[in-house]
Amino acid sequence: MQTVALLVLAVFTAGYLVLAGADIGVGMLLPVLGRDARQRRLVIASFAPLFLADEVWLVATAGVVAGAFPGLEHALLSGLHPVFVALLVGWIVRDMGLWLRGRVDAARWRAVCDGAVVAGSWVLALAWGAVLGTVLVGGGHVEDGVNVGTVLGLPLALVFAVHGAGFARLRLAGGLVERARRVPGRYWVSALVLVAVMVAAGWRLPWSQVAASPEALGLTAVLCAVMLPLLVGAQALVWWTFRGRAESPGYL
Amino acid sequence: MDDPLLLARVQFALTAGSHFLFVALTLGLATLVALTQTIATLSGSAVAERMTRFWGQLYVINYAVGIVTGLVMEFQFGLNWSGMSRVVGEVFGAPLAMETVVAFFVESTFLGLWIFGWDRLNRWVHLALIWVVAATAYFSAYFILVANGFLQRPVGYRMQDGVARLTDVGALLTNPTALLAFGHVVFGGLLTAGFFMAAVSGYHLFRRTAEADLFRRSMRTGLVAVVLSVFPVAMFGGTQFRYVQPTKHPGTDEAAAQVAQFQARFGPGDYTPPGLASVGEIAMVSAWMLMSLVALVALVKLPFGRWLERGRVFHVLVMAALPLPYVAVISGWVFREVGRQPWMVYGVLTTEDALSDVPAGAVTASFVVFTAVFAVLVAVNVWLLARYARRGPEAVRLGALEAPEPERPVLTPSL
Repeated sequence: MQTVALLVLAVFTAGYLVLAGADIGVGMLLPVLGRDARQRRLVIASFAPLFLADEVWLVATAGVVAGAFPGLEHALLSGLHPVFVALLVGWIVRDMGLWLRGRVDAARWRAVCDGAVVAGSWVLALAWGAVLGTVLVGGGHVEDGVNVGTVLGLPLALVFAVHGAGFARLRLAGGLVERARRVPGRYWVSALVLVAVMVAAGWRLPWSQVAASPEALGLTAVLCAVMLPLLVGAQALVWWTFRGRAESPGYL
Repeated sequence: MDDPLLLARVQFALTAGSHFLFVALTLGLATLVALTQTIATLSGSAVAERMTRFWGQLYVINYAVGIVTGLVMEFQFGLNWSGMSRVVGEVFGAPLAMETVVAFFVESTFLGLWIFGWDRLNRWVHLALIWVVAATAYFSAYFILVANGFLQRPVGYRMQDGVARLTDVGALLTNPTALLAFGHVVFGGLLTAGFFMAAVSGYHLFRRTAEADLFRRSMRTGLVAVVLSVFPVAMFGGTQFRYVQPTKHPGTDEAAAQVAQFQARFGPGDYTPPGLASVGEIAMVSAWMLMSLVALVALVKLPFGRWLERGRVFHVLVMAALPLPYVAVISGWVFREVGRQPWMVYGVLTTEDALSDVPAGAVTASFVVFTAVFAVLVAVNVWLLARYARRGPEAVRLGALEAPEPERPVLTPSL
């Protein structure tokens, strides 16, 4: 059962890093990809219809950790308290920038919101780099808090940026694609790198020590395994609906 | 600012409180928007279509705050309350896992599809989406109240080496404090959305804006929601008193007996909740009484559409009544949660023991940062809700088609 729970957890985490990682990356590169207000709105339209569907993978990851591996929740979150506070604040600031940017029709308002998207995306990417680096170095001792990996992991943020550029090549249209091509990046390569780093970090964690009792673990594992095809189906409907390049500005 | 326990508690209260204030409206408004869109889709009525977009826009603005505060809540358990995940983690975590996988994942995925897919999807598919969003929002509320019900009245577990093990998931999922609270919250959400719709409609009818027809219909929808939910909400609330902790009402014989039992089991200490809990109870019941009076007037006026459109005193009344459901929601939350103190899990784990052993400085820093961010967030969104409510259906961008702009050549920088 623990293997099933771990596989489900790996799928959810990989889903987050690959799908939402691209949104974070595009947010980081927003000033590079979009030079004026109209272009920035198009750049945001490349991932706007997907960002809600992308970040739910992390919420599901946190849910599975709480249900199946409750020991990891407090080891990781209290151990890396400041890093996760930064991660959450970055996430909130990024999301609010996205939600709010179209709500008031004024240049300064949009500039502040776009600033929030860029700053939030960078903080989010750096925080993920720090978390992954800490787990890679600390392994079973993550509850001891920050270690040398916390700092060494920070450059991983650049993988998110490159991943975002790879995504932008596939999603933007016209002259903006040319600009995205200036940043070296292939979507599938950076996706593989992100998943590989995640698997390597996950490999180092002491799962048996943090797992719930077999009954509770089994409940969460079975439920997730049953739900997973439905969740992927819902996501596929989103990908199908918003396939193709973003040629016109959207709701945000 | 040097008491980490107090700071962590206030931080949780601010997060959960602001979350609940917005989520109450989300729950009820999703249902009313889904109903309006159903009418629009079935009848092809243009007014119903514009109503869907107007109230849908307000729903989306409101939803954004609920989602963001909800994310922080999910992580806050591990950040500040690691004692809880250490002792009751797997029992409390099970409904949280179910909430994310069965409810929230689908809710948020389909909401994105509903918002951005307005002009791309078949209208029946689009209608189905909002119903799935509304249904999964209720699933979400149910699972969260299962988790909260366990804190209020722990069931379905066995203590083993100081750790709670899940033994009976059926008991956990059918805990009366969860089921009755769910009914209470469902009708509380509808009541909030009903008052919200009536107040915004009242504003436009009072000001005699151009949208008399649309807002007369909206006023009726809101008032019907108010009339239908004002008594069930009290019924579900009242029935819960059978399962309420004895110490929630200090001074009674049951409370004294329970305190004596706690002192025998856990040693001397103060096992009565702060007085704020009773203030919450009184405020909630008072707000409900005022709301039931407004509902009574609404019941008399509902059959007369013209009167709804013209009666200006009534418009002022429903505008003035808008804070009432919010007062009831937040004070009901205070009654339930503060009334459980000093316990995190009643009779199992104290709030003090649930606190993480992170340095006081880190707790203080996260308190300051989150409080500042949430203050801005709530202020901006309340302002936006008011602004969009005031501007009326003409200003709605949700579902409005945007023509592709002609492409201008992208200037390549010469560095």
